Amino acid sequence: MKNNIKVQRAIHNFTQQDLADKIGVSRQTINAMEKGKYVPSTALALKLSQLFKISVNEIFELEAED
Amino acid sequence: MVLNLKSINMKTNYLFPYRLKKISGIIFLISFIVLTLLYFLDGFEKFPIKTKVFAIVADYGLLGETKNFGWIEDSVTDEILVILTIVFGIIFAFSKEKYEDEMVTSVRLHSLVWATIINYALIVLSYMFIYGMPFLTVMSAIMFSQLLIFIILFRYNIYKLNKAGTDEE
Repeated sequence: MKNNIKVQRAIHNFTQQDLADKIGVSRQTINAMEKGKYVPSTALALKLSQLFKISVNEIFELEAED
Repeated sequence: MVLNLKSINMKTNYLFPYRLKKISGIIFLISFIVLTLLYFLDGFEKFPIKTKVFAIVADYGLLGETKNFGWIEDSVTDEILVILTIVFGIIFAFSKEKYEDEMVTSVRLHSLVWATIINYALIVLSYMFIYGMPFLTVMSAIMFSQLLIFIILFRYNIYKLNKAGTDEE
């Protein structure tokens, strides 16, 4: 699964730590999500969507192997 | 609808609190090392703590009598160490991380599954290739092996995660 969390984070001018604090996870989790090593739960995806004010579909995208 | 974004932290109420982690880790490590040393150096006989204990079943080898549901005299050195190791090992293994979130939960599950598989693979191998009295040592080790393998795997995976998290911003 692909995501553009890193891009959204840059648009909002957040560091990984800022974003982590805002949605209540560790910075390591943000880092792992950006690298595509961790796929967040639906709840966490919705929190990102609410924070960035865009839909979940605009943040996450399925890939062929999903 | 306004939600508190920070409340994402999973309500994992089955874990022990983070503040117990350090102290339980220290007690676990010390009692495990002492237990292992005494086991291999026949230390349970050298440092006996004789007391009366309640036994549901007690059997003193080939010549001894069997006693059920009664009080017997025994050294409790090993009992104390085993209880300390298991109780504090469980608390250390299953207490919350400093930043407990859903990825830590996922890493914990992953480590637990692998620890179980590795542990049973070791049991099968020992069962196939170790015979006689040495197998008693294996049986004793099996009491702690899954917990120990889980702790090592989980700590290693969390360490890897933290290390990967520091190399870029």
